[in-house]
Amino acid sequence: MSLAVRIIPCLDVRGGRVVKGINFKDIIDAGDPSEAAKRYDAEGADEICMLDIDASFEERSTTIETVKSIASQVFIPFTVGGGIKSLKDIDMLLKSGADKVSINTSAILNPDLIAEASKEYGAQCIVLAIDAKQDREIWNVYTHGGKNKTDLDAIEWAKKGQDLGAGEILMTSMDKDGTKSGFDNNLYMELSNNLSIPVIASGGAGELSHLVDAVKIGKADALLAASIFHYEEISIKKVKQALQSEGFEVRL
Amino acid sequence: MHLGVIDYGASNIHSVARALKSLGSKVSIVDTPDKFKSIDKLVFPGQGSMGSCIKKLKETEMINPLLEVIKSKPFLGICLGLQILFNSSEESQEKGLGVINGKITKIKDINNENLKIPHMGWNNVKIEKKHDLFLGIEDKQFFYFVHSFIASKTETSVSTTQYGEEFVSSLATENIFATQFHPEKSGDIGLKFLENFINWKI
Repeated sequence: MSLAVRIIPCLDVRGGRVVKGINFKDIIDAGDPSEAAKRYDAEGADEICMLDIDASFEERSTTIETVKSIASQVFIPFTVGGGIKSLKDIDMLLKSGADKVSINTSAILNPDLIAEASKEYGAQCIVLAIDAKQDREIWNVYTHGGKNKTDLDAIEWAKKGQDLGAGEILMTSMDKDGTKSGFDNNLYMELSNNLSIPVIASGGAGELSHLVDAVKIGKADALLAASIFHYEEISIKKVKQALQSEGFEVRL
Repeated sequence: MHLGVIDYGASNIHSVARALKSLGSKVSIVDTPDKFKSIDKLVFPGQGSMGSCIKKLKETEMINPLLEVIKSKPFLGICLGLQILFNSSEESQEKGLGVINGKITKIKDINNENLKIPHMGWNNVKIEKKHDLFLGIEDKQFFYFVHSFIASKTETSVSTTQYGEEFVSSLATENIFATQFHPEKSGDIGLKFLENFINWKI
């Protein structure tokens, strides 16, 4: 008996509304966050993730009200990311109802934040989020919602994050995000082989087989997706049934 | 029905309070010794280490009123709230409350499965004994866990869960119930469990 593969619908939020873009661009409105979270909970989501997508870029702190609203209605683990810069930000989000925080740009600018947050709140509530884009043999890390390229190697940065005290890695493939052409399984396989903490795969889900392959080939511990769940193209239940028929443990 | 949720200042108690409130209960935060009197039932949520928890309880002078409640009123311990009931833990020098005999130990990867610790995620709860708190909940349902330490089987076990070795995922004696899983984060089944606690008569 092992842990269930987690299915995590993600709400990309901007200004208190769910939005969705393609390749990190062309943003469109997709509804109310707490309504969406409630629906996902009812459909069998194992966790809910909310990313304030350009909080970091516009120097805006994450919408606390949205967090409170979701946390008072949804009783499964809830991760919040976007614009987190300090222990104070983390403290405020946890107090508002988040169970975990996801840190991206700030972790690169200040790696000590991961170490300090992990020590203060426990590794289980610190998720290191990484946006990566392939460049020949390696994957480069990008910051500020995919806007700025760094010279960090995504696999090396994930390993460093684990050593600093991150409890999970949320890796988004910028090449695949929004394309519905499947997950970047090479990236996830490479990551899983190099890490001892759980890997959440994100970016590229379009068909059932994509999600199954990310677990089967990419060895992901959890799958995160936004638009396929949001537009009800594939139900969470169907994903779990497909995983179960391949022999994976799921919560049905 | 007036539920108390204990707050000793080092744990996120809000998710438990929110879940209980969503079920229509009157919920008060118990953070001083005098607040124990007015409550009918007590919930003890908790994350972190036993040592710092016991220390904080001593600092806030809540150990004695807590022990009184544990003797007389329906009590629900969650996660660390289960572990502190035991005599001791490998995690810390500080002794537990000693209400239940036994020791809390670190999760061991006995079958070399490359177990990730903490045990974090959804796992099966195997109900070993009938109990009112599992009313309407089927055997082997998934509950949400986050922990690195476990209680080994005792005569008080109500359910067990496998992660490496088999451990106690819930236990009960008379007016005490305690879970290693987090009902407040276990979706509808978790809410059903909490509702059972609200309705529990001892």
